[in-house]
Amino acid sequence: MQIWHIAWREIKVNLRDMRTFVLMLAFPIVLMLILGMALTNAFTSGLSLGDMNLLYRDTADNPQLEASWDQFTAAIAKEGVTLTPAPVDTDGKAEVSADHYTAYAEISNNGIAFFGGVMHTLESNVLQGMLATFADRYNLAAAAMIDSPEKAEAILTDTYAGGDFVAETALGSEKKPGSIDYYAMAMTTMVAFYSCMSGSFLIRGERLRNTAIRLSAAPVSKGTIFAGKVIGCTAINFLCVAAVFLFSKFVFKADWGDHYAAVLLVLLTEVLLAVSIGLGCSYLFMEDGGRLVVLIFTQIASFLGGAYFPVDDATNFMKIARDISPMRWANQALTQIIYGHDWLAAMPAIGLNTAVAAAFLAITAILMRRREAL
Amino acid sequence: MNVLEIRNLTKKFGDFIAVDNINLSVAEGEIFGFLGANGAGKSTTINMIASLLRATRGEIELLGRNIAKHNKFAKMNIGIVPQDLAIYEDMTAYENVSFFAGLYGLRGSLLHERTEEALQFVGLGDKHRSFPRNFSGGMKRRLNIACAIAHRPKLIIMDEPTVGIDPQSRNYILNSVRKLNDMGCTIIYTSHYMEEVEEICTRIAIVDHGKIIADGTKEQLKSTITDTKDIWIGVKSAESLKVDSLRNVQGVTAVRMDEQILKINSKTEVNNLNDIIQKLIRDRVEIRSVEEQEPSLETVFLTLTGRNLRD
Ligand SMILES: Nc1ncnc2c1ncn2[C@@H]1O[C@H](COP(=O)(O)OP(=O)(O)OP(=O)(O)O)[C@@H](O)[C@H]1O
Ligand SMILES: [Mg+2]
Repeated sequence: MQIWHIAWREIKVNLRDMRTFVLMLAFPIVLMLILGMALTNAFTSGLSLGDMNLLYRDTADNPQLEASWDQFTAAIAKEGVTLTPAPVDTDGKAEVSADHYTAYAEISNNGIAFFGGVMHTLESNVLQGMLATFADRYNLAAAAMIDSPEKAEAILTDTYAGGDFVAETALGSEKKPGSIDYYAMAMTTMVAFYSCMSGSFLIRGERLRNTAIRLSAAPVSKGTIFAGKVIGCTAINFLCVAAVFLFSKFVFKADWGDHYAAVLLVLLTEVLLAVSIGLGCSYLFMEDGGRLVVLIFTQIASFLGGAYFPVDDATNFMKIARDISPMRWANQALTQIIYGHDWLAAMPAIGLNTAVAAAFLAITAILMRRREAL
Repeated sequence: MNVLEIRNLTKKFGDFIAVDNINLSVAEGEIFGFLGANGAGKSTTINMIASLLRATRGEIELLGRNIAKHNKFAKMNIGIVPQDLAIYEDMTAYENVSFFAGLYGLRGSLLHERTEEALQFVGLGDKHRSFPRNFSGGMKRRLNIACAIAHRPKLIIMDEPTVGIDPQSRNYILNSVRKLNDMGCTIIYTSHYMEEVEEICTRIAIVDHGKIIADGTKEQLKSTITDTKDIWIGVKSAESLKVDSLRNVQGVTAVRMDEQILKINSKTEVNNLNDIIQKLIRDRVEIRSVEEQEPSLETVFLTLTGRNLRD
C-alpha cells in the first residue's frame, strides 16, 4: 500500500511540473518536426539501397536444397541482387572485407553461413534478411559467421520472420522509414532515455530537500520507498513517452507498424532501464557528480543511438560506443517490429533492458542499505 | 513510565565522538530541553532517537521497548521536526501533511481529518491549497511542524523549530508546543534561544562536546551555581564603555552587553559592586538601574561550558 502512496506522489508532482512538459513532451515533438522536415532529402538518399553483390559458394549435394536454392537465386536476382559464384580458390570473406562484394554466403548441407561486410551495412543487412528467410523457409539451420555481435542478434531475430523472402526484399524498395518516421521513433526512444535524469534525482532530490529525513523516520522500509519511487518515476515518464508516441502517430502520421503492444513494451522497459541507470549513478557517483555523469551519458547515448541522425557507418570506437547505447538497442528492435512486422524482435531488447535495469537496481539497493539514511 | 530511556548512548563518525556515552530519561508529559552550542551533539542524539542514525553503542527505549528491536513501533510513536525545513515546495500545504501522514498508514477520511487537524493546529487552516514556496519563513516552519504531528505521535522531537523566524511566528510555535503538551504529548525541544527553553521546558539538559554535563529543572540547574551571581546594569549608551576594564575588576568572571543591559557575572563572595560602578562612572556611562540577582540560565550555561550558547 505504501508503495502506491509513494509512487502516486511522484506521478502527481511530475504531472504538474512545467519542466516535465517542456523536456519530455514539447522538446521531442518540436525536434521531431524540425529534423523530420529539414532532413527529408538527405535522409531518403541516406537510406536508399545501393548495389547488392552477393558472392556465394554452393557445396551442397542435396538435390532438394539445390532446387530451392536455384529458385531462390532466380527470385532475388529479379529484385536486383547480383549473384556471383565464388571461384574455387578465392577467400570469400577476404573478398567482402576488400569491398569487392557486399556479402558472402556458403551453402552446404548443414545450412547457410553468412558473412556481411561492414562497408555497406544496410545492403548486407538486406541480403542477410533474404538468406535468413530462405533458410527459415527450408528449415535450414542458419549459422552466422559475421563480424559483429549485433549482426548475430539480427540473424537470430530474422530467422523468426516467417515471411516470404520476396516480401522481405521490399524493405529496400517500397517500405522504408521516411524521415518523419525515423525521427518519430528516434525522438520517442530519446525521451524514454531522458528518464535517466529524473531517475538520478529520485533520491538525491529527497536528500536536497531534507525530506529524506521524514521518509527515513516514517515506518516504511527503505525497500518500499525505493520501489515506490522507481514505479512512480517509471510510470510518469512512460506516460510522457506514450504521449509522444501518440502525438507522432496521429498528428505527424508517423509509421509505427502494427504491433503497438510490442512497441510500447520496448519503450516501457527502456524507461525502466533509464530510471534505473539514473538512480544507480546518483548512488555510484555521490552528490553532483552523479548528475553530471547522467547528463553526459544521456547526451552521448542519444547522439550515438541515432537521436539526431542515423549512425550506420560507424567504425571502431564509435561503433562500440554506438552498440552499447541503450537507445540503439531500442531503435533496432523498433525498426524490426515496424518494418519487419516481427513482434518477436522486441524480445531481445526487452530482455536486455530488463536485465540491465535489474542489475542497476540491485547495485543501488546494496549501496542504499549501506547508508544509514536514504 | 518513562517515554524515553537512553543508556550509554555513543555515536562516532569515524574517530570523532559526536555523542559520548549519554544517559537520560524523559518522563511522560515533560517538555524536555536540550541546550548546547553549535556542534554539541544535539541533532546527532535526536537523530538516533528517531532511527535516522544508528547508535555506535548503547540503547534507546521508547515506551519501554528497544527501538532497534521494535523499530516500527518506535517510528509510529515519534514525530520529528527536523532542524532544516523538510517539506516539498511543489506540493500544497495540505498535500505535504497528507503525504507524510499517509506514510504512517492513515488513509481515507481519517487521513483527511488528521491533516486538517494538524494544519488547523499550526494556524495554516486557511492555507490548504497554497504552495510553501509562497510562504514566509515562519509559515514554512509551522508547516514543518504540522508534517510531524498529524499521525499523533506520543513523542515529538523538535530540533530548533524556531530558527530564523519573526517573533509572532515564534510565539505561535511556543504556544503550539504547550498545547501539544497539554494534549498529552511528550516533547523534546532543542534551541539556541535560552529564553525559549527557560520559558517552556520543564526539564533541561545541557550538552557539551557530546556529553550531558547537567540536567534538571531550571531551578535545580541554577542552584548548582552557588558561587556566581548576576549583576544587571541598565545603561543608556555603552559607546564609551571599556568592557575590558570591567573584566579586570576583582571577582568579575564575564561581561556581555545585551541590548541596553550590561550583564556581569561575578563571584558571590566578593563585594565588588562599588568598584564596578566607579569604573562605569569614570567611563562616563549613564547608569539607569542596578540589579543583583540569582544566576540566570545563561550564566549557568556559561559557567558549566565556558562558552556562550550563541557566538
Ligand atoms: N554525518 C556526519 N559525519 C561526520 N561528522 C558529523 C556528522 N554529523 C554531525 N557531525 C559532527 O558531529 C558534531 C555534532 O553535530 P550535531 O549536528 O549533533 O550538533 P548540534 O548540537 O545539533 O549543533 P547545531 O546547534 O549546530 O545544530 C559536529 O561536530 C558535527 O560536525
Ligand atoms: Mg543541530
